[in-house]
Amino acid sequence: MLGKLLKHEFRATGRIMLPVFGVLLILSMLFNVSVRLSGKIDFPLLRIFFGLVGVAFVVGIIAAELLSLILMIYRFYRNMLGDEGYLMFTLPTDVHALVWSKLIVSFVWLLLTNLLILLIMFFTAFSFSQTGLQEVFRQLPSWAETRQMLAELGISVGMLTGLALEGLLILLLAGLTVCLHFYASMSLGHMFSRRKILWSVLFFVGISFTFRFLLSGLFLLLIPALDQGRLQVLFTDGAGLTDIIRVMMLIMGAGGLVSLAESVILYLATTLSLQKRLNLA
Amino acid sequence: MKPILECKALSKRFGNVLALDTVELSIEPGRVVGLLGPNGSGKTTLIKLANGLLTPSSGEILIAGQKPGPNSKSIVSYLPDRPYLADWMNVRQLMDFFADFYGDFRCDKAREMLARLGIEENMRIKQMSKGTREKVQLILVMSREAGLYLLDEPIGGVDPATRDYILDTIIRNYNPEAAVILSTHLIADVEQVLDDVIFINRGRIVLQSSVDDIRAEHGTSVDGYFREVFKC
Amino acid sequence: MDWTFRSDLPIYSQLVDKIKLGIISGGLAPGERLASVRDLAMEAGVNPNTMQRALQELEREGLVFSQRTSGRFVTEDVREIERAKRAVADERLRDFLGAMEKLGYSRGGILALLKEKEEQDEADTGV
Repeated sequence: MLGKLLKHEFRATGRIMLPVFGVLLILSMLFNVSVRLSGKIDFPLLRIFFGLVGVAFVVGIIAAELLSLILMIYRFYRNMLGDEGYLMFTLPTDVHALVWSKLIVSFVWLLLTNLLILLIMFFTAFSFSQTGLQEVFRQLPSWAETRQMLAELGISVGMLTGLALEGLLILLLAGLTVCLHFYASMSLGHMFSRRKILWSVLFFVGISFTFRFLLSGLFLLLIPALDQGRLQVLFTDGAGLTDIIRVMMLIMGAGGLVSLAESVILYLATTLSLQKRLNLA
Repeated sequence: MKPILECKALSKRFGNVLALDTVELSIEPGRVVGLLGPNGSGKTTLIKLANGLLTPSSGEILIAGQKPGPNSKSIVSYLPDRPYLADWMNVRQLMDFFADFYGDFRCDKAREMLARLGIEENMRIKQMSKGTREKVQLILVMSREAGLYLLDEPIGGVDPATRDYILDTIIRNYNPEAAVILSTHLIADVEQVLDDVIFINRGRIVLQSSVDDIRAEHGTSVDGYFREVFKC
Repeated sequence: MDWTFRSDLPIYSQLVDKIKLGIISGGLAPGERLASVRDLAMEAGVNPNTMQRALQELEREGLVFSQRTSGRFVTEDVREIERAKRAVADERLRDFLGAMEKLGYSRGGILALLKEKEEQDEADTGV
């Protein structure tokens, strides 16, 4: 059932996101071309055109970012809580599959949008620097050089990758939490017969405050608990890079756990309110 | 035969309002039942409880002996009283959707009914007139070989020809192992198609009888009898 | 066949009357195969259960019989059809006489009216 829901969800959202990606790619290509050309041609009218392309490009990036977010919200609201809810909630599936299908697909689009933008900016940077790709790779330090550099600083490759992975995981988890934040606010707000949107906004703000508050509080509690003397290291003279990295991973880990807890709570809030108090207009 | 729908002391409360008040009901397969009552009497609430869109405040509702859930939803075919299909989808995509999620969806049946009405498969919902859209919704619902069909106000707000088409479709798709419950306040138009009727008012079942029994006992149509019973 | 129904009588009994009329008048020939319950119900615009009940009633009255695999047929027993025809005719006659009596006609008066009508019809066709 989840597979079918995912298929349908991708189809419904893809028809909006894919054209947006297409437009963004075209804009970035136009921009790249205009940057390369503006170095060679100097025609006033063309300059204005290139300027406009530049603006369109930046606007396009911002718009794509915003759109992926707005689509996530709008899709959930329209498909689950609007008239389409009559179809979705009478399908032979449970509320968990429905919510997960929305969650996974929204997350994927958020991820893809950001990756795409990153890639585009990477390649656009090339256009500006006017150096070839090969040139850049030639200038990068070799693997052996890198390892030596790190050894001098006292860090192992493993540790660095650990840090990077943890950071990535936390980022991904944050993405999930953002989606759930919106979903829970909408689901809870929808329990009321009147002024549903107002209630949704109130829940959104309420959830934000509560969790920022809890985050700070738990942070302060967790750190000493996981401390095991590691934090002390920071205040001693002999603190090496390794120790600093360990502390960073500790703090991130604590944040990650809180984020995970937040996600779980928001997920439960979403599914329970949809299951017990579904109040389609 | 085991009843396809059972309500035992079923009540539903919305805040202070008691929408359904200890409803007792039993509907056998093979019956076409009219759920008749004025607006706000609880017809839609009862139907939503049967298809799982609402949960009971107290009491029980069972579909083929099961509580409403993914299993019961797979044998219940529901037609809401509003546009509920994504309007960017076209007919073919909708048929794929239904076929995907419902094992009992008969594509060939749907195709035949659509062809007879001259509805093209690449028409999108948003391009359709209200009447066409309602026919498509009905066709999709009736093309499933479900155990219980729940039709919420299927003929309100459509022209007489469409009304006839809808009633014809209900008769045509009659299955002795399935029950059809249709709610309406346009009784005179549907009487001939119904086996049994349930009068509901202010959340309570006022009467449950067959069309022929009412006519025989009271010498009046169900529509006429309804007016008597619900005289203001 | 005319499938309009009165609203104050049970539908199934009206179905029985209409189908019976069809058989009596010859619209449904003796031994003719009837359409399926569902098709008949569709034609009449009624619930199949109601149509089934009507057909079962007609079976009981001996005007229709069913063969398990082949379906339902009008009886081939012409005497049975005649009997039904006579029964309906008697009923109509009773209704007619009752209505005329209400208007104030005696039996003699009714017969005189009938004779007058017959002569007039003959004259019309002559012209």
